[in-house]
Amino acid sequence: MKFKNKIKAVLGASLILTASACESYLDVNENPNNPQDAPISGLMTNITYETSLNVYREGSAVSNYVQYLASPNPSSGSDTMEPLNFSSMWFSLYNVMTDLYTMNEKAEAEGALQYLGAGQVLMALNLGMTVDLFGDVPFSESFNFSTVTPAYDDDQALYGNVMSLLDQGIANLQQESSISIGNDDFIYGGDIDSWLKFAYTLKARYMIHMKGASGYSASEVLAAASQGFTSNDDNASVTFFEQRFNPWAQDAINNANLLLTGWISEQFIQALDGTSYPTVDPRLKLMVGTTDDGEFIGTVNGAGRGNAPEQGARSTLVEGQYYTSRQSPLLIATYSELKFIEAEAAFETDKAAAYAAYLEGINAHMDMLSVPEDEKDAYLAEPSVSMGADALTLADIFKEKYVALFLHPETFNDARRFDFSYKDMNLPANVNPDLNGEFIRRLAYPDSEISRNGDNVPSVTLLDRIWWDQ
Amino acid sequence: MKKSYSLTLLFVFGFLLSIPTYAQQTVRGKVVAQEDGQALPGVSVVIQGTNNGTVTNIDGEYSISVPSSESVLTFSFIGFESQSLTVGSATELNVTLALSTSELDEFIVTAFGISQEKKSLGYAAQSIDSEAITTSRQPNVVNALQGQVAGVQVTNSGGAPGQSARIIIRGINSLDPSADNQPLFVVDGVPVDNSTVESTGTPRGMTNRIADINPNDIETMSVLKGAAATALYGVRAANGAVIITTKKGKAGQVQVNVSSSFGIDELVKKPALQDQYGQGFSGVRDDSSFWPSWGANIAEENDPTYVYQDNWTNAFNTGKTIDNSVSISGGNEKATFYGSFGRLDQEGIIPFSTWARTTAKLSGTVKASEKFNFSGSVNYSNSGGNRVPHDRFLERMMYWSETTDVTDYINEDGTMKTYGNTNPIYDARFATYEDNVNRVIGNINLNYSPTDWLMFSYRVGTDFYSDSRTEITPGPMGIDGELPLSSTGFIEETRINSRDLNSNFYITLKKQWNSDWNTQLRVGNDVFERKYDRISLSGSNFVIPGFYNVSNTTQVFGGQGKSIRRLVGFYGDLMVDYKNFLFLNITGRNDISSTLPKDNNSFFYPSVNLGYVFSENFDLPSWVTFGKLRGSWAQVGKDTNPHILGATFVSPSVFPLNGQVGFSKNSTFGDPNLKPEQTTSVEFGTQLAFFNNRLNLDVTYYKSNAADQIIPVPISDATGFSSYITNAGEIENRGFEIVVGGSPIERGDFRWDVTANLTTNKNEVKAIREGIDQIVVGSQFGYAGSTVTMILREGEAYGNISGSYYVRPDMPEGATELDRSLTQRIGSNGFPVRTGNQIILGNAVPKFFGGLRNQFTYKGLELSFLVDFRAGLQQYDQFGNFLSAFGKQEDSNRRNDTVVFPGVLADGSQNTKEVWLGQGVGPDGVDYGAGYWRNYYRGVSENFVKDASFIKLRNITLAYSLQPQVLEKTPFRSARLSLAANNIILSTPWDGFDPESFSSGAGGNAIGFTGLGFPGVQSYYFTLNLGL
Repeated sequence: MKFKNKIKAVLGASLILTASACESYLDVNENPNNPQDAPISGLMTNITYETSLNVYREGSAVSNYVQYLASPNPSSGSDTMEPLNFSSMWFSLYNVMTDLYTMNEKAEAEGALQYLGAGQVLMALNLGMTVDLFGDVPFSESFNFSTVTPAYDDDQALYGNVMSLLDQGIANLQQESSISIGNDDFIYGGDIDSWLKFAYTLKARYMIHMKGASGYSASEVLAAASQGFTSNDDNASVTFFEQRFNPWAQDAINNANLLLTGWISEQFIQALDGTSYPTVDPRLKLMVGTTDDGEFIGTVNGAGRGNAPEQGARSTLVEGQYYTSRQSPLLIATYSELKFIEAEAAFETDKAAAYAAYLEGINAHMDMLSVPEDEKDAYLAEPSVSMGADALTLADIFKEKYVALFLHPETFNDARRFDFSYKDMNLPANVNPDLNGEFIRRLAYPDSEISRNGDNVPSVTLLDRIWWDQ
Repeated sequence: MKKSYSLTLLFVFGFLLSIPTYAQQTVRGKVVAQEDGQALPGVSVVIQGTNNGTVTNIDGEYSISVPSSESVLTFSFIGFESQSLTVGSATELNVTLALSTSELDEFIVTAFGISQEKKSLGYAAQSIDSEAITTSRQPNVVNALQGQVAGVQVTNSGGAPGQSARIIIRGINSLDPSADNQPLFVVDGVPVDNSTVESTGTPRGMTNRIADINPNDIETMSVLKGAAATALYGVRAANGAVIITTKKGKAGQVQVNVSSSFGIDELVKKPALQDQYGQGFSGVRDDSSFWPSWGANIAEENDPTYVYQDNWTNAFNTGKTIDNSVSISGGNEKATFYGSFGRLDQEGIIPFSTWARTTAKLSGTVKASEKFNFSGSVNYSNSGGNRVPHDRFLERMMYWSETTDVTDYINEDGTMKTYGNTNPIYDARFATYEDNVNRVIGNINLNYSPTDWLMFSYRVGTDFYSDSRTEITPGPMGIDGELPLSSTGFIEETRINSRDLNSNFYITLKKQWNSDWNTQLRVGNDVFERKYDRISLSGSNFVIPGFYNVSNTTQVFGGQGKSIRRLVGFYGDLMVDYKNFLFLNITGRNDISSTLPKDNNSFFYPSVNLGYVFSENFDLPSWVTFGKLRGSWAQVGKDTNPHILGATFVSPSVFPLNGQVGFSKNSTFGDPNLKPEQTTSVEFGTQLAFFNNRLNLDVTYYKSNAADQIIPVPISDATGFSSYITNAGEIENRGFEIVVGGSPIERGDFRWDVTANLTTNKNEVKAIREGIDQIVVGSQFGYAGSTVTMILREGEAYGNISGSYYVRPDMPEGATELDRSLTQRIGSNGFPVRTGNQIILGNAVPKFFGGLRNQFTYKGLELSFLVDFRAGLQQYDQFGNFLSAFGKQEDSNRRNDTVVFPGVLADGSQNTKEVWLGQGVGPDGVDYGAGYWRNYYRGVSENFVKDASFIKLRNITLAYSLQPQVLEKTPFRSARLSLAANNIILSTPWDGFDPESFSSGAGGNAIGFTGLGFPGVQSYYFTLNLGL
């Protein structure tokens, strides 16, 4: 019995010891790789970086629709306007908005009103970019994990959110801030004046979308524009890095390595090479590459490259140009875009102002590309370009804006507002027969949403227009 | 948890109080073999119902104290039938042991390395002895199990040296696409790591860590299949367990064994390829075209220098394996030792692929006194090699011109020799990825038995490895006109440190109540910890060409990932044996895991199993030798991966940029209320023997339901997360396992043994959490919309492959599965019409599989072969998809044919339109563009989801052992020569490389995708074993 007592004592003691030690021994599950919290400046860095990439992603998604680019393969779904799956782009848009939601919450709590203001401006931008492509999207039940199947909000109502976010952003940017934005901001490096101009520029952009829809006021657009960008120096962009190349440059590099991408549409080439319009645009050679023989030859959307080899017989993006240098800026919004918005808004009321803005838009874009002065002057002297205020048409504005917004997703908004009436813009070969001979009007909801949130996803066709495109 | 302590304590002490005392008596004797009357050293002599025992000495003699005249001594020795004798008044008991003729009396190593009579088990377990393990000369012990065990499916991820193999017991239990689902590996009672850490970039065919073990060191492997068998191991053995017992020294003279083998590997199978057409497009020869084989008819070119190069034969080498090991063992009654060295060198069939393994092992057992014994072992291994980018190799082979010699790959200045495309062999040689693993597995076992009914046991083990990896892709050499592998060059240094600690303490209490009732109770505590740390540093853009150091690059990125997982378990195990024919076993275990939320991290699960040897209870016809029924019910819990709970932030790997580090909200959210998974399994079986053990039959039915599956469920990105790790589903697996064995002929020196096993498996996704329609497990790329996806949906089977298909007008609305027998719709252009919608095209889980082993022995001559098969499964043939895109498949010889596709037009009438299959303008003047295969065929997944059944001659071995009369004249104790061949495909409908190879490594769950992986090999070995 003595022996048993001994065992009992030893066992009992050791088990009790184990039990108390157990809890702390097992308390090792805190994530050692990912922090529980992140500083707002770190969020700002990623948000500005990813926002610029979202512009690229959308640009990449719609550049074939507006026929900047064309696929080297026949019947490519992006040329023929088939319903494609944009799940990863959708993810990126919502990922940035989630970060913005988080940053704005933290900034508000910390009184970092500059961050809050800039965050609201970028939230407006990312939301606006999402609505413009998809129409009704989740927002009011988003970002806080209140439900795993967030409802979809009406697209017109979401435009209200875009506008109020911009207004709030403008207000907050002018407040005292507990922390100042600095180099963590890849767009402006903390320059609040530029942020304010950017916010007004975006107001002008989203208001011009509403032209022809309720709530549009040309004077409001012009008022916003007057507080927007005043030169190319104000452009909202992220300049890329030695460690990470500009994605359009990367596309050009990939294409050079036979991962075919970045082939220029025949439509774009012909708009600039004197085929569709009487003038040869000096910007063409600064924007796209030539064939081995030094010619500009585009690829017909939907037709593929035919018997052309993979290299040397078609114009493609080539590394080293304004849009495609390794450290080129990725453009979010530009002074020239604003000038064309102004031109369009003033067109009905003040032709002279519209014409001046139109010319300044071309001029600004040419300056951005460093077009030599003599070539610029020659182009601007062409009667088909400087037709005079009275002869100016909306088509002229849209055409020049089309060139100035090369690769930018805003052109898909313009194209829909302009009913794809660009000169010589034809439906692609092998166009998706479900479109009944029309151009695509929206993107299909991504597969990821349909499989994860199917009950809420509206049922739409690619011809269903979003609210401002009626 | 505290409650379960006190319960346990009560249980323990209730038991202790009832132990009577015994008188002592000494028995001596000698054990000899029936066959030749020779003394048997090392026979274990154990007093039944206790842990007390001894082993016979070199002369076969033993001496043991027994508590009473009623004591029963059990004499057992591997390969012999055990005998139990009641001591009675005898002081001398001489015993003659007969060679074991069946597996019935087999002892099998069960949980915690406890050797149990198979007869007493209430669940199915199967064991493999050292000969069956090493006969196929597989360097990876997982492969050695191939085809040998019912319910166990082993698949090679490919034929690369050192490449991982995957082992799944009774189907998939966890639906999480990244779940391992593989069993726990236990070496000498201590669990070890069998993870496969894949490369981050292009697949390299990394090793599953159990391959660090030298198969020559293994004495037996038992496979514990169901939850009942593994209940004591807890969460980590929720998918079963493979219990490895390594060789130990035996009392007697020192023995030296030398084993040496040389083997060669060859490509086992390749797809049927065309050899008529050369480089170019649209039937036009172009010697610098990207297109390798859409060009001109080679013969029609009439150019003696323009020939088909047979690159698919020439690009692959003959692989070589050299495997040497030497072991030395011996000991006496007090202590034994075993030591071994092994060295394996392998060169693969893809040029420059290598793997090598050096192992050293030392183990010993010491019996310090009657009451105290201990043993320990240390196993060191160093392994690694150059892992070629096999996926890219085959992709580049695909792009490589059929009319340019692929083996002529390098210029004198060291640059790549090419017409434009990257040469696969040049890439394999210079884009290197080397791993170097240093690993130590050590364990110590202590047993203290103060009295014969009580024993304290403690096992502690560590498994530590460091894995140092270097990946280099050279940049330009700076020579004019060169085509570099990369425009910048790239280097990545990865350092992985992983350490497992296992501690297991248990108390065993035994009591023989009377001649009818015998009980044993075991209670214990088990602690596990794994610390893992991976650091990587990569640089690109080399400043000095050819100087491969991270500091010689202009862009440097670093990354780190670490984790820690701890588990504490308490368990009890009660075994009751009534009259040696009824065996009851009840277990209970409580685990506490660091990976689960604190409120849910402690979970208890019980098991019960019953074995009933009815042949000892009933009078059966004399031809029935043995009969047993068994049944079990068991639950087992399962925790999750460490550090997944809650919401966190991540710093995307692109940072720092301009000195700034960005953060983003992690898109994965781990449910803070996560519960452990729970698998409930039932099993019924019978084990029968007839005609004096000449025929054995073992049948098991199993069904397991894994509920509360922890799955990263994809959720709407708009929620703020993309993946929500939560308890979200249930899967059921059920099936039969049948093992038939016997010795049909046993005449004189000739003997024929045969064993066959067959497994069926049916599984169903029983439930997926509400609000979630489907879970995508994985997908594999196919050209032009032929990408296939593996999707889980409620009510469907695991492993379904979905993809695009040809439209069939008679297909019922809402059909989820493709009926290939329905007539296809033909478009107005004369070609079949496809749809991009996805439908189930096949299932990648074999409906049944099995093996048949035959062994013939005549004196020293031995012939054995193992045939295994699997049937009722489909896989996606990505390689076939690529072949059809590049005009390399044999079928593309029809490219100048005009055909009429059978099917109906939109108006319902039969199609009669003739179309040309080639590219460009056909004989009918119509422009067919890129042609049938590129425009139509390659874009339809249906064409590439194909029957992947096979019958293989897994192994055939012819061996000769020198007979004793010859050996007497040599210095050798034993000598054996053998010739073996492995993995010969006897029959398969699959047109491609070995259908067994799959694209993802052994660590994941996305089966059914075969692609550009390292092709399977068949191998031939010559082996010499010598004993001194």
